[in-house]
Amino acid sequence: MKYELVAGFETHIELATKTKIFCGCTTEFGGEPNTHCCPVCIGLPGTLPKLNREVVRYAIRAGLAVHGKIADVAKMDRKNYCYPDLAKAYQISQLYAPLIIGGYVELSNGRKIRLHHIHIEEDAGKLIHQHGDTYVDYNRGGVPLIEIVSEPDIRSIDEAKEYVEKLQQVMRYIGISDCKMQEGSMRCDVNISVRPEGSEKFGTRTEIKNMNSITNIAKAMEYEYERQTDLIESGGKVIQETLRYDDATGTTSSMRSKEDAHDYRYFRDPDLVTINVDPQEVEEIKANLPELPADKCRRYIDELLIPEKDAQLLTKYRKISEYFDEACEGVKSAKTVSNFIIGQIFRRTETEADKEIFDVAVSPAQLNELVKLLDSGKIRNNLAKSTLEKMLDSGKGAMEFISESDMGGLDENAMTELCKQAVESNPKAVADYKGGKEKAIKSLVGFVMKNSRGKADAAAAEEKIKEIIG
Amino acid sequence: MVTREDVENIALLSKLFVPEEELDGLTKSMQEIIDFADTINNAQVTDEGFDSISGLSNVFREDEVIESYSSEEILSNAPEQAENHFLVRNRE
Repeated sequence: MKYELVAGFETHIELATKTKIFCGCTTEFGGEPNTHCCPVCIGLPGTLPKLNREVVRYAIRAGLAVHGKIADVAKMDRKNYCYPDLAKAYQISQLYAPLIIGGYVELSNGRKIRLHHIHIEEDAGKLIHQHGDTYVDYNRGGVPLIEIVSEPDIRSIDEAKEYVEKLQQVMRYIGISDCKMQEGSMRCDVNISVRPEGSEKFGTRTEIKNMNSITNIAKAMEYEYERQTDLIESGGKVIQETLRYDDATGTTSSMRSKEDAHDYRYFRDPDLVTINVDPQEVEEIKANLPELPADKCRRYIDELLIPEKDAQLLTKYRKISEYFDEACEGVKSAKTVSNFIIGQIFRRTETEADKEIFDVAVSPAQLNELVKLLDSGKIRNNLAKSTLEKMLDSGKGAMEFISESDMGGLDENAMTELCKQAVESNPKAVADYKGGKEKAIKSLVGFVMKNSRGKADAAAAEEKIKEIIG
Repeated sequence: MVTREDVENIALLSKLFVPEEELDGLTKSMQEIIDFADTINNAQVTDEGFDSISGLSNVFREDEVIESYSSEEILSNAPEQAENHFLVRNRE
């Protein structure tokens, strides 16, 4: 029997505010242990948390970016659990009245992964387990998080990967988080179950935690899918439990036993007052959102006639798309700009990290100048390409490498002369062409291009050569 | 009705060890506490009620950094500490 995978995500994203959610301590990553703390964020009795206004704004930004509905009224709740990463024995979170309701993330196959809600909450401290003892650092305690809870709409591992990538991309675009999975500023838990293909009823799900990269998410899901189907096939039953993914072995193992089953006894936090969202503020935040990656991608395809694959590459990181937008200013064909970026500049920014920063020696304005020289017919494509390489090496503008004599193309006589030379000095190619080998003409055109230092128009040269050969 | 199992479960969630012989007594106490709290349900009210006594809303702070405490101060009440961390011993 074939089994269908069903998955939903809970994604935690650390917000890039300057201070923590309920106190003025810095949110800076790292630092000596327990030096970014105060009585509020280590949960001492008698302290009063006060909500950071910016956290609400960032969360609204996130909500709007994924088409969620911003609640009119939101409230904070206490989630009670006893564990050393939270000194208060409760986490301040939202359950009954979260800030954002609904929303969706659209995948490239057209499916929309619906979101249940997005809520704001505080992060917990960091635990280091050593020799059976636990060392606690509360620097991260109280750092603001949003938790994005999806519906169980994901049906394959590829969809899961794309969902996480899309979330990461859009949250980075709107500047609310750097979403670094390795550093923990983006963390995913996945709920996964299987069911016989065609069945409507959901199977029993397990929850996998502790995956710190998209690759690991895929591996963990693959392992868990196999484990669950094997279990059912052999007559067993999946039990609902929380699993930890072990990167070293590529397997999942049980993390919580049954008696620790979730019982968080949520209730309204009496220390924190109701949030009444001001619709005017929501409108302001909406007006200040940048063009979102999905919209940008669509615009590149529909209006600038960029192939879909290239449009995705150009919109993957905000810096690249901004570079592209600027370099396209007033050019005839955006495709030319795109080709230079993807064909040549990307070779200088090989890693994903480099692409994200996109610190390129050639400014968008310099690339724009080069493309305009090409547009106006002053230089040919080959010369533009080699010039761009020199510009990338030196950071200098195009005119540093192009002389007056390079510009203006080739006049009619010089072109005819060069084509004649090409035919005379390559009798074999000519014979091949006459014998029916269409491709042989390319080497003759190549001769003309080389000897004109790229100034000749390749198509025109081909015409001319055919004319000469007859 | 509060049962012995409820008390056992609450103790577990609170990471408290409750000796067997204290369970009956604690179950009775817990029932009395719940009964006392329940008197509020007998109050005659006409309005829709409220979930916050202050009636306040939108109390915010601006996103401005305030200097944190030193790790010495933060750790000064810790029952145990090591290498600038709170230390939690494994009791199992």
